[in-house]
Amino acid sequence: MTTPHTTIEDEVILSLQKVSLDFGRVRALVNVSLQVRRGTIHSIIGPNGAGKTVMLNCISGLYRPQEGTILLDGRPINHLKPYERARLGIARTFQKIELFKGMTVLDNIRLGRHMHLHSGVLSGAFYLGKTAREEIEHRAFIEEEIIELLEIAHIRNRVVGMLPYGLQKRVELGRALALQPRIILLDEPLAGLNLEEVEDMARFILDINEEERWRITCVLVEHDMGVVMDLSDRVFALNFGVPIMEGTPAEVQNSPAVIEAYLGQEDRYATRR
Amino acid sequence: MSHMPCGVYHERYAQDHALWRSRFVRVKMLLLAVFVYLLFPLWADTYYLGVANMVGYTVLGALGVQLLIGYCGQVTLGHAAFLAVGAYTSTLLVLQVPWPNFMLRAGLAYPVSIIAAAFAAGLWSLLFGLPSARVKGFYLILTTMAAQFITVDFVITQYVSQIGGRGQAFSLPPGTIKIGVWTIDNDRRVYFLMAFLVTCLTFALVNLLRSKVGRAWIAIRDNDIAAETMGINVVRYKLLAFFVAGFMGGIAGAFWISNLAAVSPEHFPWSWSLWLVGVILIGGVGSIHGVFFGSLFMVVVMELLTLAVMSLAGVYPELLMKLNFVKESAFGLAICGFLLFEPNGIAYRWWQMKNYFNLWPFSY
Ligand SMILES: Nc1ncnc2c1ncn2[C@@H]1O[C@H](COP(=O)(O)OP(=O)(O)O)[C@@H](O)[C@H]1O
Ligand SMILES: [Mg+2]
Repeated sequence: MTTPHTTIEDEVILSLQKVSLDFGRVRALVNVSLQVRRGTIHSIIGPNGAGKTVMLNCISGLYRPQEGTILLDGRPINHLKPYERARLGIARTFQKIELFKGMTVLDNIRLGRHMHLHSGVLSGAFYLGKTAREEIEHRAFIEEEIIELLEIAHIRNRVVGMLPYGLQKRVELGRALALQPRIILLDEPLAGLNLEEVEDMARFILDINEEERWRITCVLVEHDMGVVMDLSDRVFALNFGVPIMEGTPAEVQNSPAVIEAYLGQEDRYATRR
Repeated sequence: MSHMPCGVYHERYAQDHALWRSRFVRVKMLLLAVFVYLLFPLWADTYYLGVANMVGYTVLGALGVQLLIGYCGQVTLGHAAFLAVGAYTSTLLVLQVPWPNFMLRAGLAYPVSIIAAAFAAGLWSLLFGLPSARVKGFYLILTTMAAQFITVDFVITQYVSQIGGRGQAFSLPPGTIKIGVWTIDNDRRVYFLMAFLVTCLTFALVNLLRSKVGRAWIAIRDNDIAAETMGINVVRYKLLAFFVAGFMGGIAGAFWISNLAAVSPEHFPWSWSLWLVGVILIGGVGSIHGVFFGSLFMVVVMELLTLAVMSLAGVYPELLMKLNFVKESAFGLAICGFLLFEPNGIAYRWWQMKNYFNLWPFSY
């Protein structure tokens, strides 16, 4: 690339250094190190049970690794709670959708604005001045930036629990975007989607990564190899909690170690396109 | 990227964010206000005013329970403790503080004591909400029950009641409950105070629920882990829910002393905590309408039962002795019935009916 961003994009935004985590006798992560560069899409692949979700949970703070350091912008964040990490700019989606099922689409996305809103109990109770103004400003942001991008205007007032699976996945992405994060962790965003939905979702991921408006660094856990190879700048492969290799999509795809890890499961992880 | 002219958008969002979005709803609310503040108090006699005051008191207590259980997912079985803290704080302040004369003349003692009662009960509730940082569900229920027994049966009965050497009950001499120039000494005045407080607290809660704080509560109820990863300090917002619920409970308790000649621990038994939970189960969990429907239903059904028992008293005199037993059985039966046949409460039925009529004549 010839943009002036080149130097910034070379910066490491997130890094894991020798991270290990056991659940009793299950070694979920063993000495995992990873460097995610700003502005890239960095994929994590591996067979089921490899520890990909555990890795994301360590980054977002839901799990505490027993060993190793996690750094954001070069600063350790191990001691921070999940909500504090969110405030530093880490957002995520979940493999098993974790929306607020009783709330509408709009309210789910509004909830993602939480840390950008400032009204407290008193001004909220009166809903005057500050609170009313703030709600309108953020509503405009949500409508113009998120609902428009994800093409979910028609369902904005629907209760989330009643929506079809594919739309719920999209709303979950919208809620994460509402945080205006610098880095987003996507745990199998394409799982369970039909062909058309996969294409839409892949496009959204590219949009939030490439558009000047967002420029979000993506850590993508995904089984759909076709999409992973298309979207990713770098790919990291994991098996039984042990890193097996990392490189460009082409390098990883042709690595014998990776092929062996997937042996016997080809059909399950083959691309659907 | 192109933007629409801001003004146009803002106007539309402001309309969309309005509490009452259509003229129809605004007219309906106006009519409701006219009924509550004018027609009903003009028409009602002491008996009906008394029933209405009971409904209002139930609403004031149940709003906090609804906030905790229905909106924040924190089950509480000890809310009467916070009503008690409110009632006792207010009573003690009114009776024991050497108020300067001008404040007594201006009728400020009681209003000030209501505010103090709200804060005292809020902080007390916050204290018993602390375990919610660590425990959920069943264990939290046990700690909220502890709030009831520690507060009412232990602290208030054993210690607070001894203050001033009055014995078990604090009697409130006529004329002590005074707001401005109005002495709250009859059911109609109690009624207006009740209506005012219910209006204020309902608006406050409804507004909270459509702003940042309320959304955080609902998010914690629906999925606390996701809430935390979205940047919500879950512990802080749970504690805030306990504080606000206690605050409202304190106002409810402080209000209720205006209706009592004397305050004693028996006014705040554990069964009242259960009763408040029953109110929101019957009215509808997670609905402000539910608080009102539940309170109306429970109070009115209990009144009808009392009337029925009274009229049967001539034939079965022993029934009169068992009035409380009959009431409690009816309460239990009502809850079982609703859980089995109408688990979403009356509010849900109301909502269905409204939709039916909104679609009318195309309803099916
Ligand atoms: N909370 C937990 N308690 C115990 N074991 C866990 C927990 N979470 C994950 N594991 C184990 O860690 C391993 C990795 O799981 P996971 O990260 O979910 O795999 P995947 O790569 O498919 O996302 C699995 O063996 C799983 O059973
Ligand atoms: Mg997983």
